[in-house]
Amino acid sequence: MGLFALLLALLALYAYLYPGLLSWAGIARFTQNWFPVALVAIAQTLVMLMGGIDLAVGAMVSLGTVLAATLVGGSVLGAGLGITATVAIGVVAGGLVGTIVALFGLPAIIVTLSSSFLIGGAALLVMARPGGSMPDWLSEGLVGVHPTALLILIVLLIAWRVLRATPLGLAIDASGDNPTGAFRSGVNIVAARIAAYAISGGLAAFAGVYVAAQTGAGDPLIGTPLTLQSITAAVLGGVGFLGGQGTLRGAVAGSLLLAVLVNVMFFLGLPPVAQYVMQGLIIVAAMGIKRLRERAA
Amino acid sequence: MTSLLRHRVTLGWLVVVALWVAAGLLKPGFARIGHLRYLLELASITGIVAAGQTLVVIGGGIDLSVAAIITFSAIILPLITFGFDPTGLLAISMTLAIATAIGGLNGIGVVLLRVHPLILTLATATILQGALILVAGGSAVSTVNPAVTFLGNGSLFGVPMTIVTWLAVSAATLAVLHGTVLGSWLYALGTNDRAARLAGVGAGPAVVTVHAASGFCAGLAGLLLLGMNRQGYVGIGEPYLLGSIAAVVLGGTSILGGRGTYLGTIAGSILLVTITALITVVNASPGWRAILFGGLILGLLLVSGRERQA
Repeated sequence: MGLFALLLALLALYAYLYPGLLSWAGIARFTQNWFPVALVAIAQTLVMLMGGIDLAVGAMVSLGTVLAATLVGGSVLGAGLGITATVAIGVVAGGLVGTIVALFGLPAIIVTLSSSFLIGGAALLVMARPGGSMPDWLSEGLVGVHPTALLILIVLLIAWRVLRATPLGLAIDASGDNPTGAFRSGVNIVAARIAAYAISGGLAAFAGVYVAAQTGAGDPLIGTPLTLQSITAAVLGGVGFLGGQGTLRGAVAGSLLLAVLVNVMFFLGLPPVAQYVMQGLIIVAAMGIKRLRERAA
Repeated sequence: MTSLLRHRVTLGWLVVVALWVAAGLLKPGFARIGHLRYLLELASITGIVAAGQTLVVIGGGIDLSVAAIITFSAIILPLITFGFDPTGLLAISMTLAIATAIGGLNGIGVVLLRVHPLILTLATATILQGALILVAGGSAVSTVNPAVTFLGNGSLFGVPMTIVTWLAVSAATLAVLHGTVLGSWLYALGTNDRAARLAGVGAGPAVVTVHAASGFCAGLAGLLLLGMNRQGYVGIGEPYLLGSIAAVVLGGTSILGGRGTYLGTIAGSILLVTITALITVVNASPGWRAILFGGLILGLLLVSGRERQA
């Protein structure tokens, strides 16, 4: 609850500093900055709910941007095919990482760390330096004056609700919460784990498509800082490390907190690097307060 | 023979030897003493960072702040080398004290706030990253500190100082792990935290000590790097984050804690540096180099690093 109260306070402060926020265009512009972080926070949370961690999220976003800038065509059909192909590659790559983690029993932290090199290397192969292009109408549609990003985010959260009512969603939920129990109840936890990594890979690749639409080009290194931000957002939102603890809603709220914080600091005239210090302090404070409260209770 | 291959520390050393022999036969220049010594000098940086990392990991934690601490010490040392300190030793002690203190703060945070070490050290890294840009303004700093230059480039009885330092750190790490109460505490904590605490293990002091040791090792590695390059810049420590963790895991230490030894990490460090050197020889594009590096680590893990899953 503390998170949502803090979030409301910060949003109010931001709206006070920047009254333009309270309009369609203002909301649209704000969600555009926030959206990629929200997507990777969801991607990270899916994996963390299974007791894993994905240090390749940022590399996957980079790969998404270069693929999108290469594959997305000018026509509606071409754009649709390009986006589908990019997301599909993300799903396959995520699925492969998940397979190695789930089947071979290797620790997620080191597998995804190595994968970040494989995926980041692949991004550099597609495009050694920033380049490519995105059709203007697509950029305008996704990043223009309409709050498209907010809509997609709401659709995603509803989709997760729906997914959790299906056998696959139940399996993901159950094997994150209690792998042994889920296994004994006949849930295929290996398949559930692989699915979680695959969905996560697809979301990260889609975040790449969005970033490419935002910047109008692909960049093989642009996603790197998002790995840390995705973990930060998830942890701020109450997602734990042992699996089964936390919600996607919380992670999205955590990413919103990060985004508002950066914007507020910008308006207060603090130097851009101060946000690193602030971000670090906020994580420690948020975690520390939570633990101390748990201990007191 | 199979039991020998199953023993992961031995396996690590066998892979190193096999790789050196193969590379020596294929590339005549590889096996020259000068080149091998150069590889060991490079490996000593990774090895020293990985010494602290090994202690933290065996105790059931992980330290993601090592890269930031390396960069921090490489940049702060030239700034605190003053004229009244002609040997440069005061600046070195101060830098190492700061690095140890940062590591100690990590440990205190883990113990007092009960924050997961992964998150806490990640946060420390983020804070240091911001602080560094504020302090150094993003430009490279060079140093004339004689003690640091000696550490990075000098030699003692013909052995480069980097390797001498690594030997000293190795001896200390092995002694702590296998010859002290702290070492036994770490294995106990990494195996079963709750049982260890109930059995009277001093969990708090142990965790703070290993994090402080990891900070010290990272700070020392930063000084050696600075001495070798004569320049410190933002990002100088970056490669050593993955490097130190990979060296620990390739050396057969369980990333989940409780099992492993620094002897394996030494092999892991040499292995990593050798792989990197061989990839450089292939002369591939940056993309292929990253893919080769990631693929080789993943492949080695599949061969040697399987964990029993919980």
